[in-house]
Amino acid sequence: MLEFRTQGFNGYSVKYSPFFDSRLAVAASANYGLVGNGRLYILNLTPNGIVAEKWFDTQDSLYDTAWSETNENQLLAASGDGSIKLFDITLSDFPIATWQEHAREVFSVHWNLISKDTFLSSSWDGTIKIWNPNSNASLTTLPTHSCTYSAEFSPHSPSVLSSVSSDSQLRIFDLRTPASASNHLTLNVPIHQPPKPRMGAAASVGIPPSEALTHDWNKYRDTIIATAGVDRLIRTFDIRAPGAGPIAVLPGHDYAVRRVTWSPHLSDMLLSASYDMTCRVWTDGSAMGVDQQNTMHQPQDPMFYGGGKEMGRMGRHTEFVTGVDWCLFGAEGWCASTGWDERVLVWDCRAVMQGQ
Amino acid sequence: MANQTGKSSQAQERLSQVSSHLSGSGKQALLEKRPDDIVVTCALRTPITKGGKGGFKDTQSSDLLYGALKALIARSGIDPNLVEDIAVGSVLAPGGGATEFRAAALAAGFPVTTSCKSLNRQCSSSLQACVDIANAIKSGMIEIGIGAGAESMSTQYGPQAVSEFSELLESHQEAANCKVPMGVLSEQMAKAKKIPRSEQDKFAAASFHKAVKAQKEGLFDEEIAPQTVKWTDPKTDEEKEITVSKDDGVREGITAESLGKIRPAFAKDGTIHAGNASQISDGAAAVLLMKRSTAERLGQKILGKFVQASVVGVPPLLMGVGPAAAIPVVLQKTGLQTGDVDIWEINEAFASQCLFCIQELGIPMEKINPKGGAIAFGHPLGVTGARQVSTLLTELKRTKQRIGVTSMCVGTGMGMASVWVAEY
Repeated sequence: MLEFRTQGFNGYSVKYSPFFDSRLAVAASANYGLVGNGRLYILNLTPNGIVAEKWFDTQDSLYDTAWSETNENQLLAASGDGSIKLFDITLSDFPIATWQEHAREVFSVHWNLISKDTFLSSSWDGTIKIWNPNSNASLTTLPTHSCTYSAEFSPHSPSVLSSVSSDSQLRIFDLRTPASASNHLTLNVPIHQPPKPRMGAAASVGIPPSEALTHDWNKYRDTIIATAGVDRLIRTFDIRAPGAGPIAVLPGHDYAVRRVTWSPHLSDMLLSASYDMTCRVWTDGSAMGVDQQNTMHQPQDPMFYGGGKEMGRMGRHTEFVTGVDWCLFGAEGWCASTGWDERVLVWDCRAVMQGQ
Repeated sequence: MANQTGKSSQAQERLSQVSSHLSGSGKQALLEKRPDDIVVTCALRTPITKGGKGGFKDTQSSDLLYGALKALIARSGIDPNLVEDIAVGSVLAPGGGATEFRAAALAAGFPVTTSCKSLNRQCSSSLQACVDIANAIKSGMIEIGIGAGAESMSTQYGPQAVSEFSELLESHQEAANCKVPMGVLSEQMAKAKKIPRSEQDKFAAASFHKAVKAQKEGLFDEEIAPQTVKWTDPKTDEEKEITVSKDDGVREGITAESLGKIRPAFAKDGTIHAGNASQISDGAAAVLLMKRSTAERLGQKILGKFVQASVVGVPPLLMGVGPAAAIPVVLQKTGLQTGDVDIWEINEAFASQCLFCIQELGIPMEKINPKGGAIAFGHPLGVTGARQVSTLLTELKRTKQRIGVTSMCVGTGMGMASVWVAEY
């Protein structure tokens, strides 16, 4: 396990470069992101450990970052003052572009993986905005009317995007639909709805709605999305059957889940980061050969649904874990995490999956 | 300086956001507006009048319901054809009032396709009616419904409301306790829980004061739908048509001292009397419920939303502790802390039991029944649950607050509670 200290700054998000297996970006904030400056770190994994190649300081807290999909030296930062900044690693100090439209804290930024010429941002102001890096103003504003912690383009279609927000809803937007009163909203899935009861099984317990903090599109199954948030549950949904409730429910985290991310290598595996100071590796139970027998004999949380289970956990963080990301390259399982303990950890998932 | 203030409030907001992630609490999540929320777009009641002598003494409960439903259609502008079900809580009506209430709905302007049921969970009947409708909407069984209550204690109060207990029930101790009169058991409870008469009288007087003040300031006007009914003058036996627009049980000039002179009603050395118990009354109330998405589609103005309800059984002889048992359950279900609730509407069946629950739950007195309660303006049994909704939502709106709880004790030993969020 490799470690880097973001001295004086509490981590909020970590992202592997899509171009280099040794480059990481970390969005961090002084004073736990409550008040004060932000810092965007560019870290390199070297034979001598993790080295900060560069950092950019900002006036307000930073909550998320996203690498450009077109330029290996550029990356976005989401700021507490409502701005989005584009930095270039080859330059120093100042961003090469700043977009100031959001009225409140920006919580997520995400680059379009397919068309690569747009990115999005989501904010506490209850909107998602779509941007082109060459344009001064946003291209589209999609209202959610609710603090939107996480928004993401589909990795399978350039015009489809999704969000989760305080109102416990998973929304799907399709920019190909005509602009109308619905603002491209094509699907609205209540995250807290219980799984549909099956014949012969007891109906699931109802759960009150709670804030959804994170979600991610499966990289292989183009209709599968994982969500998580304040109710500590990770759920997966199939957007082809939005009324059917979650297809998998994964309880286990002791506090709110701050981030989930699907493996770029395995279609059933995901990684989560939580306020309970752990990162956990999960299978959603969809892969062939998952040992159903084994899970059936274990005494289980009654919330478990869909055959998934925890595969292992990493408990080396000593404060809230806020960011986690998979390395896209090399051996399957390398990942990086960051948190309020002012640390970035780079580790191998397989090492924490004891004997699984 | 202004800038600094902005900064610190921003830091405060960020901090409360993180803490809401950790507590999972409720409050932040509760205030969110979701398309699948069950919202109230109209909540009103008739005036509540004194049993036996008030404005509605000669009006049937079905006619009171008719008046409330008619007013609800007029005020909300809802197309009656869209209302799929009406649930009416009523306690004393023979046969539950099922036949008369269906007839009253038809007479009020609902088409034959609008179904109607009556139900009886004693004093929480119309809260149960609202909850039944909300749950039916939640489950997709109906899209729009009305939870209502109607009661004519003037015409239907009496021993005929309960049938004779069988030998089987009489021989079971806890079962037999179910028929002990409320007053008697509340007296025993006041003694057992050590609620002195002076406290009860003080609480009762405060209820009158609050109600008098609210009535003078017109704080009930928004929720009350005035009714024109036939009324026989007891002096002349002459039948006239009168319009009732105010609760006529509210009396001025009542003090703890004046209440202190009244003779106890249920035991010589007792503490409970007509002045510190709820009044026998007549009235009706109705609440229009639907999903937020439906309300927005129809352009209905949203007054608030229904969040959650709880119902808990308690020993029949300790009927009065019901709210103290049901409220913690509903708070736990919604993730709320006692301090998160802005207004509590706890039915004043008896000052003794209401006081006990308030003390047990540690609720600040100024948040309880800010416009008075059943001691001041009456407790028409089946109406109280729906009445509390209109009283609560109008007061939350007026005071620019958000979260309210309604609760009541229920005869035979139960408590029911519900959480509502006002929107304006």
